[in-house]
Amino acid sequence: QDGGGLREAMAGVARRLLRRGLGVAAGPPSTRQLQEAEEAAPVFQYAGKAARRKDRVFVWGFSYSGALGVPSFVRPDAGWKKPRRIQPTPYRLETEEKISSAACGYGFTLLASNTRDVTKVWGMGLNKDSQLGFQRSRRDQTKSYEYVLEPSPIPLPLEKPQQTRVLQVSCGRAHSLVLTDSEGVFTMGNNSYGQCGRKVVEDEIYSGSHLIHQLKEFDSRVVQVVCGQDHSLFRTKKGTVYACGWGADGQTGLGHYNITSVPTKLHGDIAGVNIIHVSSYGDCCLAVSDEGDVFGWGNSEYLQLASVTETTQVNVPRHLPFKIGKVKEAACGGTGSVVLTEEGNVFVWGYGILGKGPNLIETAVPEVIPPSLFGWSDFSPDIRVTHVRCGLSQFAALTNRGELFVWGKNLRGCLGTGRMEDQYFPWRVTVPGEVVDVACGVDHMVSMVRSFT
Amino acid sequence: LNAAPGRAPRQRVRFLPAPAPGGGGAVELVAARVPVLADHPLVRGPRFRKLKIGAGHRLDVKASGVFVLGIGHGNKLLTDLYNCHLTKVYTVGGLFGKATDDFSDTGNLVEKTTFDHITREKLERILAVIQGTNQKALLMYSNIDMKTQEAYELAVKGLIRPMGKSPPLITAVRCLQFALPEFQLEIHCLHETQQYLRKMVHEIGLELKSSAVCTQVRRIRDGVFTVDDALPRTQWNLQSIQEAIRNCQLKVETELEKTLG
Repeated sequence: QDGGGLREAMAGVARRLLRRGLGVAAGPPSTRQLQEAEEAAPVFQYAGKAARRKDRVFVWGFSYSGALGVPSFVRPDAGWKKPRRIQPTPYRLETEEKISSAACGYGFTLLASNTRDVTKVWGMGLNKDSQLGFQRSRRDQTKSYEYVLEPSPIPLPLEKPQQTRVLQVSCGRAHSLVLTDSEGVFTMGNNSYGQCGRKVVEDEIYSGSHLIHQLKEFDSRVVQVVCGQDHSLFRTKKGTVYACGWGADGQTGLGHYNITSVPTKLHGDIAGVNIIHVSSYGDCCLAVSDEGDVFGWGNSEYLQLASVTETTQVNVPRHLPFKIGKVKEAACGGTGSVVLTEEGNVFVWGYGILGKGPNLIETAVPEVIPPSLFGWSDFSPDIRVTHVRCGLSQFAALTNRGELFVWGKNLRGCLGTGRMEDQYFPWRVTVPGEVVDVACGVDHMVSMVRSFT
Repeated sequence: LNAAPGRAPRQRVRFLPAPAPGGGGAVELVAARVPVLADHPLVRGPRFRKLKIGAGHRLDVKASGVFVLGIGHGNKLLTDLYNCHLTKVYTVGGLFGKATDDFSDTGNLVEKTTFDHITREKLERILAVIQGTNQKALLMYSNIDMKTQEAYELAVKGLIRPMGKSPPLITAVRCLQFALPEFQLEIHCLHETQQYLRKMVHEIGLELKSSAVCTQVRRIRDGVFTVDDALPRTQWNLQSIQEAIRNCQLKVETELEKTLG
């Protein structure tokens, strides 16, 4: 808006309005005349009463795999421009639909919308194991793209494509899961360990595969799907957990260290317990019950489960007797874990950069992160952390004010702070909007944001 | 000040001639304590001919509130207080619907906009974001290496503050009153100017898809000095000033001890 030009126009309007009165003495306009000119000025409306807040998607991190969905980072649109290897701060990704769920895998991303339209899921990034489905290449109709540089629709074999809604997506190292409300779970990608829930075929070629498997046999409707590195976890409405995939670290929790290719129910300490949240990203898994208890199984080489056992692999879910209050949410990364309690406190344990300064590298018992690091102070005492998320070696926390805090290893700029150094305590990420949800990957992150007004 | 009883004149031991007790012209020297003539009021003249008065943080013409002055030897304390980098608190009043060229309501009108879509919730969201970005800038300009354990400990206590030059930083904002089209904010800031606060009100208006001008900037706290310690116009006389200085002495000393060590 040309403010200067507008001001001259206003001065012109004032002068014209003044000259209208015949016989008015020339000279600087008096206060009353200025006031009248002001009242006669036009009023602009930029947002009406029905203005809605807009939903946006912001991405940041390593871009050469195409996982950020911005093709100009990898293949610039002009010859003199250089490709952008790392996007260090949040960058807006234009999407056609409102994205309700996002997941970051190891070099690829899935975005899903809650719509009834035919296109519900978009994928970008690495597609060497068809973890983004079959992306038909323009040059050769029989071949699929190995790297997808912008969000491309994933065709799901739905029976009722105009009625089913996609609730959630999840991505692992080379496979992805899509959860729908009435047609079960769809899996695609690498199945060499049975993580897609179907029988392992020897020497199967996963690249350019059209196969998307559908899983329906669970005791009740699946409400959450989680991908670990090479295994999958399914949580049903009744509170039971099913698992399939690689089990050499016991991450399937089925009592053995073998591969499982059919989703099987977990027992152990969670038998009969109503589980309300499951989380995994590496080889360790955590589950939260409705009473606020935490259960864990899988890899414990980094002291994630050292509070109950000395063994480095736990293949049956074990109750973790932490006295930290009622737990609401848990998130498990490669070497560290984080839980959020009902009071809004954040507890971390495991190995790596845990968020309590450079001196705390490993702990088997959860330690609380002081709330003042999340913006709590005497001036604003009602700030609470509402969600916690985990990438492979980073952590993210969302507060009730819509602020995003990240800490951990800054692998290829994945923290989004604008700097390339590791962050040893929670640091705010400047996002132009209120952050609603965030998905963390190995070297990139995706966030769903609502604009302020 | 000159009429007040001054210091007693210095005393000096002098050997004065006095007539000898024997009598008859002999003079002997007797030690006596006499006031130094140079300290006599008629010789010295009025004690104060001019006073050195220094100003603390600037307050411009359109703003009001606490303004700290240093008198005489107190000017040295002013430099020390400046180096403490303490926060100042302002109440800023704003008005939605107008934009002017100098961001205050007495400037030339640039644009008028509607504001009925603005709610207190939207305003508080914007204020939260302003606080967040300024918090980040606080940590960045404090020139501490983020990778050290002491940086973590200071961040936990909330004591990280830039102790050198930095652009204007806002440590806390909160909305005190909201009655469309007027609103009032309480702002805690460092190294700011009042025009910067007016510009911030203008930018808040832009962010809410409308426009705003600043109607009032009032400093209610400058480091350790609050409005209660400040003297209003009616009390600009010697007794009140002396009393105010006496009351604030202890506060200033403890603050300087704490920050500068």
